[in-house]
Amino acid sequence: MFELAVVSQILWTSFATSSYFVLFAVAFALVLKVNKVFNFAQAGVMTCGFYAAYVGVRILNLPGYAGFMLGIGGGVAMSFVLEYFGFAVLRQRKASAMFVFIFTLIASQFIAYAVMMIFGTWPTTIFASMFWPVTMVGGIAVSAWDVPAIAATVVVLTGLWAFLKYSRNGQFMLAVADNADLAELYGIQKDRILMLSMVLAGVIVSIGMFLYGTRAQVQAAAATELMLFAVAATILGGIGNIWGAAIAAVVLGVVQNSSILFIPSAWQGFLLFAFLFFAIVLFPRGFRLPERRNTLKRLAVAPQALSDGKGH
Amino acid sequence: MDYVFTILILIGLFVILASSFDLVIGHCGLISIAHPIFYAIGAYISAMLSKQYGLPVPVSILCGGVGALLASALVAVPALRVSGDYLLIASIGFQLGLIELAKHFHEIGGAGGLTNIPSFLIKDFGRESYVVLVLVLAALTVLFIRWLTQGPYGRMMTAMRDDELAFSMLGRNAIWVKVAVFAIGSGIAGIAGGLYAHYFRFLEPDQFGLLQSSAVLTMVVVGGMRTTMGPVIGAIVLQLMPQVITFFNLPPSILGPLQGLLFTGLVLFFMFVRPQGLLPAADLWVGRKQQGDAGQSAKEARS
Amino acid sequence: MSATLEIRGMCKSFGGIVVADSIDLDLMAGRVLGLIGPNGAGKTSLFNLVCGVVKPDAGSVSLDGRSLEALPTYERARMGLARTWQNLRLFPSLSVMDNLMLGPRAYSADSLMDVFFRPSQIRAHEAEARDRALDILERTGLSPIAHSRVQDISFGQQKLVGVARALMNEARCLLLDEPMAGVEGQTYALIQKAVRDIAASGVAICVVEHNVAFIRDLCDEGVFMFAGKVLARGSVEQLINDPHLTELYFGT
Ligand SMILES: Nc1ncnc2c1ncn2[C@@H]1O[C@H](COP(=O)(O)OP(=O)(O)OP(=O)(O)O)[C@@H](O)[C@H]1O
Ligand SMILES: [Mg+2]
Repeated sequence: MFELAVVSQILWTSFATSSYFVLFAVAFALVLKVNKVFNFAQAGVMTCGFYAAYVGVRILNLPGYAGFMLGIGGGVAMSFVLEYFGFAVLRQRKASAMFVFIFTLIASQFIAYAVMMIFGTWPTTIFASMFWPVTMVGGIAVSAWDVPAIAATVVVLTGLWAFLKYSRNGQFMLAVADNADLAELYGIQKDRILMLSMVLAGVIVSIGMFLYGTRAQVQAAAATELMLFAVAATILGGIGNIWGAAIAAVVLGVVQNSSILFIPSAWQGFLLFAFLFFAIVLFPRGFRLPERRNTLKRLAVAPQALSDGKGH
Repeated sequence: MDYVFTILILIGLFVILASSFDLVIGHCGLISIAHPIFYAIGAYISAMLSKQYGLPVPVSILCGGVGALLASALVAVPALRVSGDYLLIASIGFQLGLIELAKHFHEIGGAGGLTNIPSFLIKDFGRESYVVLVLVLAALTVLFIRWLTQGPYGRMMTAMRDDELAFSMLGRNAIWVKVAVFAIGSGIAGIAGGLYAHYFRFLEPDQFGLLQSSAVLTMVVVGGMRTTMGPVIGAIVLQLMPQVITFFNLPPSILGPLQGLLFTGLVLFFMFVRPQGLLPAADLWVGRKQQGDAGQSAKEARS
Repeated sequence: MSATLEIRGMCKSFGGIVVADSIDLDLMAGRVLGLIGPNGAGKTSLFNLVCGVVKPDAGSVSLDGRSLEALPTYERARMGLARTWQNLRLFPSLSVMDNLMLGPRAYSADSLMDVFFRPSQIRAHEAEARDRALDILERTGLSPIAHSRVQDISFGQQKLVGVARALMNEARCLLLDEPMAGVEGQTYALIQKAVRDIAASGVAICVVEHNVAFIRDLCDEGVFMFAGKVLARGSVEQLINDPHLTELYFGT
């Protein structure tokens, strides 16, 4: 039906392009796991990461690596602002999950509009050209973008894995993810760890946006769709499972990109929403926003100890 | 004069949208921001039925409302069976997905938009009549929601928001309450959509996206959730404010983002500085029958 | 005589913690069963399993001979199962009266059709529920605070509101989770009397309680639970005086 060469070419390209999807999904899943926030403001972080790199390379004419660093700086700065002035304040106020979620959504929209005001609505890229030289490897065209992108993703994933497994802060992060109150009881500074995970996610998505922005055109609203993709992958991968989200992102990325074989390209964008539905209807298990009760419980706990001496 | 009429109609429509959205997100506590998609469904159904099939406009507007109601149940039933939080993603996916889908259907105008929608009342009775129609329906919507939320159904929604588990343990079906309220709110939005379609006579999928969602959300948050007049005030203030910017003759490329910035900036400001909105809701639910008098006996109520 | 509530082979564990280990238990109409056991024995979990709040790993529950297995929590309540919560779970945005108004097995506004098209029926229904609520408030001595917010009343009164709310159900089986914890004085007597009266009307009652005096005064029989197992069943006196159980209870 399809020529083998065509199919394998498309599969390879889809695999390579799924690299940034993986990064977006991993960052989203990390924040959901540790901060227990369904962070739609990630789109805003992504936008900032991209435009910081864009300013560095296209406006200040800095070399690529400087743009890359600047991009990470942009993403981290925005993550910091969101956590410090947003999430931390809401946490302290014991805002409801709905309230926090609306904040993330509105914040990401706010950032998108601000960026539109500054940079306009025209799509741009980080480098002037999106074309990368191609080498033929066994009948498959491998572009100069593909290999570094995949390598960067692998490095990030390995780094994250090692960080969570071996570093103290990483272990603290998992402890907070498991039970924030208990972790605090053991002397872990919850707020610092939550900030750390937010910033880490900022680094990861900025790298992802750098990859994306060197290969495709970006405008202020683009990040929202990229992020919805991460949402679908996170749900499919199983909530709280960062590596599951990464695998789901690869699968979704390959399916979406190779869908060109089966459906008209105009419909490709629609596939994302099909994924979302598919994820929600078929794999709904496990996804919950954290519940916060702050009304009667406190009243109820104190007198419990008085209960007639027995049992304690 | 036409300009004023148009503003009045937009205010009326947004009062309907904001009030019905407050029913869903405020009174019932359902996290969804996809309200505008049900507005869109009502608008498109009504427009197509009257344009293609020649149905009388009032009938097609009603059909639009019913269509929006059914569509909302389609989203809510599978999502809410899992958990309340799922509704959010399901509805955003539904909203953006449907907009994307609409752009590819040439039968309903595609991305370019649907034009030449039949008008209603205006030819025979002038624009004033349409203004009156919309404002009357807006007032009825506000009164209806007040009536619903201050009755036994409002008591249910309040308890469910407070503690869903305890609510279920009393024998109340939380999922059904949520689906029903979501459907009612969406159905009302659908009717507003029909009213929009037959006045402006042009519909475009992108109108009903996240910008519209933030606008309606802003009206509710700024006005004050769970109050009768909050969404009304929010709708009026936020409908008039962008009009002021339009006087500055800014190019459209700036005007759009500026409006968006204004809406989202206002929500953020209110979220952190005055989370209760302009009109704060009372923290104790008071039904309509009990107001004022303590032990009302059954005999009084029956008479 | 057949049991009102029958629990058979109930098993549940959370990760490594076994909270129910093939529990068999019968609750008889008109009798009050005391459920005793140390913290973490699985008493609350057993209630959660019976109510369908937590899904069991194995086992079944039936009420008046009808299996509750496939039913969601609200359906179980509508069949006549009512409970109170260890941590109260009152509705803070409602007055005491309105907390009770939501309690009847059939609520006035359960059907939207009625709300929209039969307002007179709704009114009659509400009036009926209000009468019953007033009656229960009277019996539990809560009448003076009927229109207060639940945050504004004393802890003992909050406990009592929890019990009163459960009574609105006119349940066949009533599960009370530590109704006395933190309650003293007058309220103590009120709760005790309320429970006695309900039992006398033929309701099967199960009480979890750490207050031994309360259990001894109130219960016809006791059950001792430990680590998800029912270790003993007998008269309360017997259970309290068993040195082995006392040792388990105090964990010495
Ligand atoms: N949803 C849950 N997930 C995990 N563990 C749970 C859950 N519910 C209860 N447990 C655990 O099961 C054990 C039994 O809890 P349960 O509340 O049933 O005890 P209890 O007998 O009611 O104790 P107490 O007298 O303190 O109320 C506890 O160790 C508790 O931590
Ligand atoms: Mg307990």
